[in-house]
Amino acid sequence: MFSGNVKTAINSLRSAKWRSLLTMLGIIIGISSVVTVVSLGEGLKQQVVGQINSLGSDVLTIRPGKLVSDGSAKEKLNLLAFLSTSTLSEQDVTSISKLPSVGVVVLIDFVTNSASNGGQRMDNVSVLGTNAELNDILRPKMDFGGFFTKDNAGDNVAVIGAAVAAQLFGDVNPIGHSVNVLGQDFIIRGAINPSAGGLISAQQTDLNYTIFLPFGPAKNLVGGKVNISQILIRAKAGVNPDIVVADVQKTLLQNRGDTEDFTVLKQDQLLELTGGVVNTATGFVTGLAAVALLVGGIGIMDIMLVSVSERTREIGIRKAIGATNRQILSQFLIEGLALTIGGGFIGIIVSLIIFVFLRLYTGLHPVINAPVMILAVVVSIVVGVIFSVAPALKAARKDPIVALRGE
Amino acid sequence: MALIELQEVSKIFGFGEATTLALDEINLSVEKGEFLAIMGPSGCGKTTLMNIIGLLDRPSHGKYLLEGRDSSRLRAGRQAKLRRDRIGFVFQFYNLLPRLNVLDNVALPLAYRGMTPVRRAKRASDILELIGLRDREYFLPKHLSGGQTQRVAIARALINNPSIIIADEPTGNLDSHDSKVVMELFADLHRSGHTILMVTHNPELTRYASRVIYMRDGMVVEEESTSIGAIAKGALRTYLRKRKTTEEDVLAGVSALLKDVPGQAMAEEERRPRKKAKLRKTRRAKRKARR
Repeated sequence: MFSGNVKTAINSLRSAKWRSLLTMLGIIIGISSVVTVVSLGEGLKQQVVGQINSLGSDVLTIRPGKLVSDGSAKEKLNLLAFLSTSTLSEQDVTSISKLPSVGVVVLIDFVTNSASNGGQRMDNVSVLGTNAELNDILRPKMDFGGFFTKDNAGDNVAVIGAAVAAQLFGDVNPIGHSVNVLGQDFIIRGAINPSAGGLISAQQTDLNYTIFLPFGPAKNLVGGKVNISQILIRAKAGVNPDIVVADVQKTLLQNRGDTEDFTVLKQDQLLELTGGVVNTATGFVTGLAAVALLVGGIGIMDIMLVSVSERTREIGIRKAIGATNRQILSQFLIEGLALTIGGGFIGIIVSLIIFVFLRLYTGLHPVINAPVMILAVVVSIVVGVIFSVAPALKAARKDPIVALRGE
Repeated sequence: MALIELQEVSKIFGFGEATTLALDEINLSVEKGEFLAIMGPSGCGKTTLMNIIGLLDRPSHGKYLLEGRDSSRLRAGRQAKLRRDRIGFVFQFYNLLPRLNVLDNVALPLAYRGMTPVRRAKRASDILELIGLRDREYFLPKHLSGGQTQRVAIARALINNPSIIIADEPTGNLDSHDSKVVMELFADLHRSGHTILMVTHNPELTRYASRVIYMRDGMVVEEESTSIGAIAKGALRTYLRKRKTTEEDVLAGVSALLKDVPGQAMAEEERRPRKKAKLRKTRRAKRKARR
């Protein structure tokens, strides 16, 4: 009986091809959006996790602003903190570097967001002042040249990201050329490989769109004003990171008279925090896509109700020759399911095509994962069942005599 | 034990002012192997009676015993199974599913029994062979003639080897040749022991029946056992008699047209002498007035 119902459902859908396809469109859009968004989110998370892990587990991050709540990494970071003046100072860096448990301290100072080379100008770049030790922590893969060293601390030199190199210098090897930041020229010492970058990095900047300058000259550019967006610390070999966290917190609190306007994060906390932010964003967009799925489901219900009305006589005939209410119910349920499962599979195929385009033409790396696909199919089945029940019940409850008259 | 037994079965539609009495305390008994023809004017309750016997509808009052068991109060699911296994329907307008081919249409009742596709195709094919339509197995109903379509509908009714075949004006939509083919098929089924209940307006078809009942206003007004091959007398009287319209009929209007129904006709015969006298009196009065 089941195979018969499946055959009937497919025949019925085939006989109204356009209507079936348009009905499925809602489900196709819903499923492909959900699958794409969830996979994008998963991809972003993996990128971020990869980058954070590449820093090593003994690296700590200090950020300006306090986590809203008890300091648990699961709580939300004040995302607007970077817009206000940083609460971290050079004095903090100096006092932290004196701690016996701390190995390397690197500060990241936000300078400006524009740079130029002759007629070429970029306004979406992060110009950051930093120490040469950043190279030890980030270990970025270089395309040309290398990172600046301690010896360059007072020189006007720069290390640029791949996108900056491409936009300001085109195909020319940028090494030895200069980039102009706030009226001063900086000679390029190194260009970072594009693979080192990503949409979101551990530093919340895309390395592809970054220009690193030595901290001293960078500070002079803006008249000695510093805006430290974060401080990276590597613990001394063999020291438990928890001890470093305690030491750093104590020192910073001493510096500012017990006002806790900073956050010290270990790598795992950073992972959780960044993962949480990505999850929230993914959840939000998935919610929107789920609305599309809901609308698709209502479309299915609408068409199924029309189908039941159109096929009243058929229902009457089927009942007259012995179909029970349950058999009629299952026939229409299977028809609704065929629409949604069909829509679900087409939606997955569409999302696979979107994956290919995203990977080829953008810096995004969505992850195709089986659970998301299975979830999409399950969701389409659930939508199918929920939205086909009412029309199927309507069909099953029809009075055979009235139905035979085709009323 | 009768195969079908109706005990004072009534069917009421609507309520309040709009109540219609479709069947009025009908008592009817049909034995196994009978070929019963049901005749009567439109709206007399023939189809309602067939629907109740076919378990498509329930009586408002009374009892319906099918094979000795009260079947009128069964649950919908149980009734559907009885329809599937015991009753075969043949409708005036065939009622085949237009999207299914002939084979699938014939095999459909078997699908509801849960038979495997291969077995039901084989069985349907055998039945189609029996009615001479094996070569049309993969045709859609719209590609068949009226007679062929009705034969397919009969094949579908026979597929579960039912004990009762209910045919509601099976030749109503066919030409005389196709009607004959279909009726011969019914005659064969009757000879092979099937019980057939057929609603018809065509007195010719009573030749095939072993008994004819006449209905009017929801009641069985006359019943007649006939010999196979002979047209029922009541049917002849009803449908083949030349109609005489009297002055009274004109005065009586539409209701006079209904008096041709057998039971009513007999009652009319009894009243005729009185009517004639009344008519003579009227004419005499008219002549007097002219003078």
